[in-house]
Amino acid sequence: MSESLPVVSQPQPPTGFDDAGFDELVTGLERWSGSLPDWPPGRRVRAEWDEVAARLDRARRELSRVLVVGVIGGTGTGKSTLVNALAGRDVSPAGDVARPTTVAPVVVVARDVDCSWLSLDGVGARVVTSDAPAVANIVLVDCPDPDTQGVDREATGPGPSTRPSDTNHNRDLLEKILPACDVLLLVATAQKYRSWSVASEVAAFAPGRPLLFVQTHASRDPDIRDDWRRELGRQGIDAPAVHRVDGLEAARRAAAGLEPEAGFAGLVRAIDEELVGRAARRVRRTGALDLAGWFLRQSGAQLDPYRQPVVDLTAGIAAERARLEGLMGKAVAGKLKASRPAWQRIMQDELVERWHGGPFAMFLHAIAALGSMWPRLRAGGLFGRVLSGQGLPHVAAGDGAWQSIEEVGLAEADVEQTRSILVGLAARAAIGEPMTGRVRLDESAVQSSVGTLMERTGNWLVGGVDRLVAARRDRVDSSLVRTACELVFSGVILAVLGRAAWNFFYGHLWMGRPVGGLGFLQEALVWIVLLGLLLRWVVFARIRAGLDQDIAALVTRLPGARLVDPFLQDFSTASAEVAAFLEVGDTLARRHEALASRVEEGRSSLGRLKGPGG
Amino acid sequence: LVNPAAPSPHFTAAPAGERPQSRYASWAGNIGELCGLVESLAVVAAEIGEPPPTDAEWYGQLFGKLRPQVTRDPVLVAAVCGGTNTGKSLITNVLVGGEISRSVPEAARTRCAVASLPRGLAGGIDLAALFPGFTPRPWTDGDDALGGTEQGDDLLFWREDPSGRQPERLILVDTPDVDGTLRENWQRAEAVRNACDVIIALLTQQKYNDAAVRDFFAAAAAANKSLIVVFNMVSWPAQRQRIAGWLSTFNAETGAAPLAVYAVPHDFARAEAGAIEFFQLPELTGGVADAAAGPVDLAAALSGVDFDRIKLRAMEGAYRVVLDSKSGMGGWLDRLEASSRQWQEARGVLAEEARVRVELPAAPRELVWSEIWDWLEPKRSRLDLGLTRVYRMAGSGVAWLGRRVGIGRTAEERQDDFAAIELAALKHALAEFIDRLDAACRRNPRLGTLLGNTLVQGDRASWYADLERRHAALPMVSDDYRTFVRGELDRFSRENPKFLQLLLTGLSLGSVARPCVTVGLFLAGSVAVPAAAAGHGLATLVHTAGDWVVCAAAPLAGEGVLGLTMAGLKPLIERLFAGWSAERSRALTETLHDVVLGDRLEEIDRRAGAAARPEVARARRLLHECGLEFSR
Repeated sequence: MSESLPVVSQPQPPTGFDDAGFDELVTGLERWSGSLPDWPPGRRVRAEWDEVAARLDRARRELSRVLVVGVIGGTGTGKSTLVNALAGRDVSPAGDVARPTTVAPVVVVARDVDCSWLSLDGVGARVVTSDAPAVANIVLVDCPDPDTQGVDREATGPGPSTRPSDTNHNRDLLEKILPACDVLLLVATAQKYRSWSVASEVAAFAPGRPLLFVQTHASRDPDIRDDWRRELGRQGIDAPAVHRVDGLEAARRAAAGLEPEAGFAGLVRAIDEELVGRAARRVRRTGALDLAGWFLRQSGAQLDPYRQPVVDLTAGIAAERARLEGLMGKAVAGKLKASRPAWQRIMQDELVERWHGGPFAMFLHAIAALGSMWPRLRAGGLFGRVLSGQGLPHVAAGDGAWQSIEEVGLAEADVEQTRSILVGLAARAAIGEPMTGRVRLDESAVQSSVGTLMERTGNWLVGGVDRLVAARRDRVDSSLVRTACELVFSGVILAVLGRAAWNFFYGHLWMGRPVGGLGFLQEALVWIVLLGLLLRWVVFARIRAGLDQDIAALVTRLPGARLVDPFLQDFSTASAEVAAFLEVGDTLARRHEALASRVEEGRSSLGRLKGPGG
Repeated sequence: LVNPAAPSPHFTAAPAGERPQSRYASWAGNIGELCGLVESLAVVAAEIGEPPPTDAEWYGQLFGKLRPQVTRDPVLVAAVCGGTNTGKSLITNVLVGGEISRSVPEAARTRCAVASLPRGLAGGIDLAALFPGFTPRPWTDGDDALGGTEQGDDLLFWREDPSGRQPERLILVDTPDVDGTLRENWQRAEAVRNACDVIIALLTQQKYNDAAVRDFFAAAAAANKSLIVVFNMVSWPAQRQRIAGWLSTFNAETGAAPLAVYAVPHDFARAEAGAIEFFQLPELTGGVADAAAGPVDLAAALSGVDFDRIKLRAMEGAYRVVLDSKSGMGGWLDRLEASSRQWQEARGVLAEEARVRVELPAAPRELVWSEIWDWLEPKRSRLDLGLTRVYRMAGSGVAWLGRRVGIGRTAEERQDDFAAIELAALKHALAEFIDRLDAACRRNPRLGTLLGNTLVQGDRASWYADLERRHAALPMVSDDYRTFVRGELDRFSRENPKFLQLLLTGLSLGSVARPCVTVGLFLAGSVAVPAAAAGHGLATLVHTAGDWVVCAAAPLAGEGVLGLTMAGLKPLIERLFAGWSAERSRALTETLHDVVLGDRLEEIDRRAGAAARPEVARARRLLHECGLEFSR
């Protein structure tokens, strides 16, 4: 009746395990998990990693140490009986007198094995030695059961107010012991293989711990191994082999020194082949790799809900930046277009600087000189100062800071609106203080942000205005226009002078007609000045042509200057950091997958947690 | 071969007394009303974040046992319950005398309850009412219980006993397990447990002390169900002496006092054949051990129990569970009230924190003035019309000149400027409001549960867009405001005969109002805002309260100001400006109420008032009255 299912294949050597790759992965995980401590999900990932890292570290340090096999299962399933059979003598009390039987865990070691490294403090473990070959190269721990300790019930729950089981802490003990185990030997009977309390403990401790499965009570119970394997599959556990033994019979034969029956012999052989020597190293390595994979799956599940919100936040930042830049662009274009006198003055300065010599040039100089006799109105604000070539304005402190950017189209309320919207989007991605600031910037932040914005805007404007002026300089320099203007202007002057000369020499001196007085010259001067002004207007009109379009084009280049970034800096930095964190996590998961696929073919008959249960 | 059941003290008939049916009838009214109250309060409880009472023992007894059974002809329900693979189906089949529920080697396969009814009962009983939560289906074969496909429904298959041996008022039910990995099975077993009077507790040496099994039977014992313990798969008679120890552990853990204890020897062949044997252990229930006694007929023993007495015991037990001051319905009401108090606190936090002072720009004077002028128009015969006209013309001339030199603005431009500044002020206030709500949610976790999601998942960009839209749609002067102004002026002129003279003084002084409006939630004692701002269908939960500063603008106003104050004109002008400003802030309050918060405020109000609902007081009184019967 007792036999082992012939699923166990000859274990393969761990040819595919990439030690260097795995070390690199662990280093990467270490760095990654701690890289974003200000982000709560990142912090949770780190907290999980701290537990996993300790185990991974131990697995690597203790690569050649014997494996600790924890025997777990519901009460009455025959854990102690099985341990006694494996130990070859009665080391752990077993029986049917009272449930639970095992209260203090029993650690079975071979006589020559030093197990001082096994830390089982505070669990009252009893260490016994055994010469049995089955436990010669492993440490076997008979664990308390998980199913007799009550849940933390309220004092008002049903039943007696005090129960004998109130002093039962078997599950607590079990949960202290299992972290020290490398492999779990899961014992079940027909009555208990679908036990909820056992399943929940296994779910908690199976990550990174290979599993051995044993159905006991083989002589009394029907064979439920196929159904058990289905149930394990539902819990996400892959169970290639399930052993079936009769513990009582095995213990009796072991004590009597008889040949073990087939099922038990199969279990002993599996322990020998899967958990001893080179196999132990492989178990530790693949266990560590599985643990890292489990950690990555857990973190992935932890982080998945934030992927879309981070994308939304990034999009929201772009949208808000565009909104603020739109407001700015509108104001800047309006202000530049409205500053007609300032443009006029700039062009005049250019003309005066470049045109010398001819009479028209002299005329222009004269007009400019006359204009300069009026004191120039002190240009205020950013635009006035930029267009008049004065330095950038100083940003006032306090509320004045906000007032100083109102002329570039931004109000405190607009910035607050943006930040309020972004705070909401960031909260969806669990991003908050200290990664990002408050909706309302504090005074120093306002001061520095506004200062940066004004400085950038000023520099950008200076550059833009310079480009606009430079584009017009060619038109100023055009010798054709200049020559034409000079010709027309000097022509008229020459004509007037010629006519005056004719009148004087021919009419007066020769013909003896009386001198016409200054009247003619006065009238001529008026016409000359008017002509000069007309020409000046034409020249300016030519230079100014297309200014509005050029200003519009200048404003379209505003987003490239990243002028409003100071107000969004904290959000864009935070979203970039989180996005990078997610990206690195994905990269590590892919790297783990590559490592895992290399060792897949070297798998043994041990069970393992593959993924979340169905 | 089979001995008749050895009578145990519990199995003897009760002394003749009042018929239990009449007691049930006296309970029926109260139980019906309690159920109604619980149903309506459960909705409130769910709203205020209390976990549903449906998982509580008292709820199970009230709805699963008392309500369905108090008005009906009493039937006795006996259920076979226990852990996975302990042989529940096998025992049921033996009790029924045929394979009603398939017994298979795999564990946790029984997923549906299966009931065996006495012959002729099916037509006269409403099984859906007797077993609330279950859908009754006629039985076809033993595989019904296995649930065939992955049916999520809670099915109850029923069959009338074909042999006719089943006692006429006894219903026997096989249940799913109470400790397996499928939690739905636990719930089904608990539902049957609540409805039944007698439980055949199936224990094994592996499971009698498992926490899940213990808890299940402890609840049954607390509700005074009668327990018959059957230890299955016993190595008989080797383990006979052990059973006393197992049972005393079980009794101490669960508080149970079984009517009788039986042992079923482990015998694979007999189990296969459905012919297992029950050995009674009378020494464990106060009787005398008889080591030589043979197997007994459990089915016959079951039909020998005193139905009325056991039924009454179970009904009373269920009632006591409901009436228990701590773990019963009273405890639930306590928690509901405590929860409601927390919502009152939350409401307080909101009233305190969610309050924003909106600094609106000074109102363009001409808007309010022109309304006053319009009102004055028909009365102007008595005024110095000429003077007014001169003032107006001179004023418009100056304004024209100002515009020409670029320092004056047209009325439209001024209104645009005003609207832009006002919108900025409203947006600023909205941002601050959201910030304060965030802070309030952080301070009060209850608020967090209700508003946190709104604040985080809400599309804030659309809130601002909504505010902009509402603000743009707001006319500078609404009809409501016009009516309000006229009403105020009419009233004032009736009360003050020299009013017109005063008003003119006031007007020429050019009073300027600097409005400052406070928008808050649940503002207690907020200033009654003029009709213009109230009564627009806006809930009374977003309040606008105003402090308005009215001062004289003209420097030569010393005497005039005095006159204003003396004549009580100042409050009038304050109100006129106040009404206008309050109306302006309506865009914000409407956005807050309609878009940002939705109906959350009403909900908070409702939750805060949950404890004060009449149902709570009525339920308390009823519980007290019902309790009197049991304390006597």
